Amino acid sequence: MTFYLQLAVAGIAVGSVYALIAIGIVLIYKCSGVVNFAQGAFVMLGAYFTYALTRLGLAPVAAVLGAMLAMALVGMLTERLVLRPMMKAPVVAIMAVTLGILILTRAVCLAIWGPDQIAFPKLFPDGAVNIFDVFITYNYLAAALLSVCLSLAFLAFYQFTAIGLKQRCAADNTRAALAIGIHTGNQNSLAWSMSAALAGLGGTLLATLNGLSLGLSDIGLVAFPVIVLGGLTSLSGAVVAGLLLGVLQAFTDGILTPWFETFLRAYTRIYSAGALQQVVPYMILVFVLLVRPQGIFGRRGTERL
Amino acid sequence: MTRSSLVPIILAILAIAVSLMLGRYGAYLTHVVAIAAIGAMSLNLLNGWCGQINFAQAALLGVGAYTAGNCGNAGWDVFSLLAAGIASALAAVLIGLPALRLRGLYFAIATLAAQFIFEYLFKFAEPITHGVSGLLIQPMKLLGRVIDTDQGYAVLAICLLLLTWLFMTWIRRTDLGRAFLVVRENEVVARGMGINVPQTKMWAFLISGFFAGIAGGLMGFTDRLAHPEAFGMGLSVDYIAMIIVGGLGSLPGSLLGAAFVSLLPEAIQRFGEAFNMADQLSAFREMAFGLLIILFLIFEPRGLSAILGKTNVQRMMARFARRPTNPVRDQAKNQPKWRSVE
Amino acid sequence: MNKLLRNAMLTAGLLSCIAPATAADINFCMWGTITGPDALVNGMAYGPRDYMEFLNQTKGGIAGNKVKLLLLDGRYKLDEELKNYRRCVDQEQAVVINGWSTGSVKALRDQITQDQVPFMTQSYSSEVLDPVKLPYIFMAGPTYEQQMIIALRDAANAGGKTVIIMHGDNEYGRGPTTVVRQSGVIEKLGLTLVDTVEFPYDAQDITAQMLRVKSKNPDLVYVQSSTPQLIVALRDAAKVGLPATKFVGNAYNISPAIPAQLGAAAEGFRAIQIYSDYGSDIPAMKDINAFKANNKIEKEDVYYMKGWMEGVAISKAIEVAIAKNGGKVPDDIKAFRKSVRDEMENLKDVDAGGITPPLSFASHQGSTQARLAVIKDGKYVPLGDWINAQ
Repeated sequence: MTFYLQLAVAGIAVGSVYALIAIGIVLIYKCSGVVNFAQGAFVMLGAYFTYALTRLGLAPVAAVLGAMLAMALVGMLTERLVLRPMMKAPVVAIMAVTLGILILTRAVCLAIWGPDQIAFPKLFPDGAVNIFDVFITYNYLAAALLSVCLSLAFLAFYQFTAIGLKQRCAADNTRAALAIGIHTGNQNSLAWSMSAALAGLGGTLLATLNGLSLGLSDIGLVAFPVIVLGGLTSLSGAVVAGLLLGVLQAFTDGILTPWFETFLRAYTRIYSAGALQQVVPYMILVFVLLVRPQGIFGRRGTERL
Repeated sequence: MTRSSLVPIILAILAIAVSLMLGRYGAYLTHVVAIAAIGAMSLNLLNGWCGQINFAQAALLGVGAYTAGNCGNAGWDVFSLLAAGIASALAAVLIGLPALRLRGLYFAIATLAAQFIFEYLFKFAEPITHGVSGLLIQPMKLLGRVIDTDQGYAVLAICLLLLTWLFMTWIRRTDLGRAFLVVRENEVVARGMGINVPQTKMWAFLISGFFAGIAGGLMGFTDRLAHPEAFGMGLSVDYIAMIIVGGLGSLPGSLLGAAFVSLLPEAIQRFGEAFNMADQLSAFREMAFGLLIILFLIFEPRGLSAILGKTNVQRMMARFARRPTNPVRDQAKNQPKWRSVE
Repeated sequence: MNKLLRNAMLTAGLLSCIAPATAADINFCMWGTITGPDALVNGMAYGPRDYMEFLNQTKGGIAGNKVKLLLLDGRYKLDEELKNYRRCVDQEQAVVINGWSTGSVKALRDQITQDQVPFMTQSYSSEVLDPVKLPYIFMAGPTYEQQMIIALRDAANAGGKTVIIMHGDNEYGRGPTTVVRQSGVIEKLGLTLVDTVEFPYDAQDITAQMLRVKSKNPDLVYVQSSTPQLIVALRDAAKVGLPATKFVGNAYNISPAIPAQLGAAAEGFRAIQIYSDYGSDIPAMKDINAFKANNKIEKEDVYYMKGWMEGVAISKAIEVAIAKNGGKVPDDIKAFRKSVRDEMENLKDVDAGGITPPLSFASHQGSTQARLAVIKDGKYVPLGDWINAQ
């Protein structure tokens, strides 16, 4: 039993970071209709910024906040410089340009900080708690709590504040928003900034868990099954789906893979199940797209003919 | 053979001659570009002409490589390439089936998922693919003679490229080819014109997959190895970059884009070595790559084919010969940036 | 017409850049992961280059001929490495090639034999070690399988009963694991292989895998992966409360980065040591420090020592080959390569400056001695004597 609980804990910790990142992607999608492939790059960049700021002497908390601010700036610049000129471009092109941003950002980080893993500054104390025989490090606890709290805070912001309302208007219907005087361009920039800042924080938390390296950007691609599962237009869906997928991956690794391997070894010549936990989210994604494309919480929209 | 197909044939003969003169490494670069061009043209048909996004191009190439490898090792000779084409065509149809029910963005994400699923299968299906060790592939036999030199494969690749080109230009002129374009622009209108949209899309996938398979098969033979890491997401992105840089929807653009994206790493490598920047080269390469994609998309979405296109060249030559420029011909300049090519 | 002419000249200029190197030089071509998932251990790619450069600077090269060096970035990507191999063999006309990954040397093994070019691989895979069938491939130490057996023997002697092998999902991970598993040696030592746990070779998070391992409670966990993944492994082991003392890694897990990044979580971890550490009191350090005075050393670790040692061995073989050709570099690259291969195999008791015991390449391995080292107080400390791995 402890084994399952432990897996669930690991899954929730990672899943909450997925949620944070997925919220960012959904935010951008709702506001400007763009799927941001570069979200992973923002995650990685945020972590590197935090690292750089601590190296410059800032206290950990200040460094994290500073990194988030820097990321907000990066997000806004991306929107202004790259996305604005491409307003009328077809979906392919915009997806491709965000891919280009991903590649470019990775290359810049490689050039500045090198290819090796770097020891990430300790933001949370070492040690762990033991609840019902389940071993939870303070790091896990902090990352999970922070992510969930921030996600909920963000959802509240989006739902209950004036700016949140403006965001929702711009996201819902650009023309109507323009008609009532909302500057959709600014709202777009705001969406990108917030999204990038959230991604940056997610990156920092992820780096405390898994170390700092270029590989952090890979999480951007796992975020896609999350948002499809949750519904491309639903922020709360992103949170729920993020947690779900995190736990699912953990359970795949811990339970499904060994079972699958025993099965394979008994009936086929294949010995390894391979990286099952990396492919299972995508299989789920395909399944969801075929059965219920709007995901768990999304609205039935124009995804289907 | 119409007159317009003479030009490609002559160019192909020239290319063969040049590649034979360039020594082994030059021939190697030639067949790399030729194979990439076949793959780029296949993606161009699907994406540029028919408007269907496909992130799984690398997976299709992989299917081609593994099929050709297994068939080649079993002695099928040149028919391995045919088998590769058919296998990839079937895989493409499989990937495209969801296209019948999903739109734009969602379909793109579905192809992304397909790419990752295929990658996993390549590593997993060890009896067929030899998993992570990779499938060792014997050189291909053509009419009894073994092709095991880079020059040989360069000639073969250029010939197949020529055939691909001729096929593509031909199909553009058929009703099916025109149907592709209409489906890309507006599916409702297409249906109104009596076009069977699902069938058209499936044909696009089928044909695109076939040529991707041939390109993949050639890759397998020239590398003498097919392994999962070679057919990952990065390769799909490379091909997307090729058709973007070359110009979405333009056939010569696919060739230009393929040459550009394939040779750019080489060029940067030599440049870096000349200036002794060896350690930073990878970063520099990636930066150039990403920057190029972004810049081309923002500033010249019609790609290299527009920059080096007929109208521009004609205009430059006219200016050189001090002939007055033709305003009617210059219409292209006044068209809005994001109008589709063709 | 001018435009055409200009374009033609440009093309000709570009094409001339790809003209092959002249044959009467000594060309040494290498590749390694300069940037990529296992870039942490790329000291062993810089090592040979630096040693040859050291020879160039202090002795004017080998027998008075300067060595032309080229270090390429394989990025740990198989197609990149294959491209580099092609370039080294044809374009650069290299007399010796120094490769990197297990995957690439396995894929290339037949081609290397066909091309007849001496190939020193950084890999220790037993599947490319065959002086008879693969006469051109050399390596620099005991095979992964031999390393694993050292660790297993140690566990058996300490009274352990159960073993788990963790490995990456690439050739480097699966290959040796499969060989050891199928050879039956684990059972022969009286141990039981309880499970093999695979993880993505560039994984960032293997907590769930660690939980699997923890639930089986093994006496020994052998990790067949590169340093970055080992760091992830030990970090995640700490996350779930699994002590590092249960873990043993292969020769690629002796890196200052491990204690540096993990701190207390790495205490008690053991790994296989084949080479003396950087900075230890050995004659080779004198040369290295002399080199360091005028040049930059990229990575000061045990892998650099490995690379340096490879440079020593290769240059010795080339030296003897030139001497046997009357003191001149042979014009025919094929003959030169064959001669260097023969001399490489004939190397016996070559002084490696203390990095390893004297090198002999009759078995194509150089040195077959290794020992365990344990992390104590943030540093690697040798544990026990040098064992002959064969």
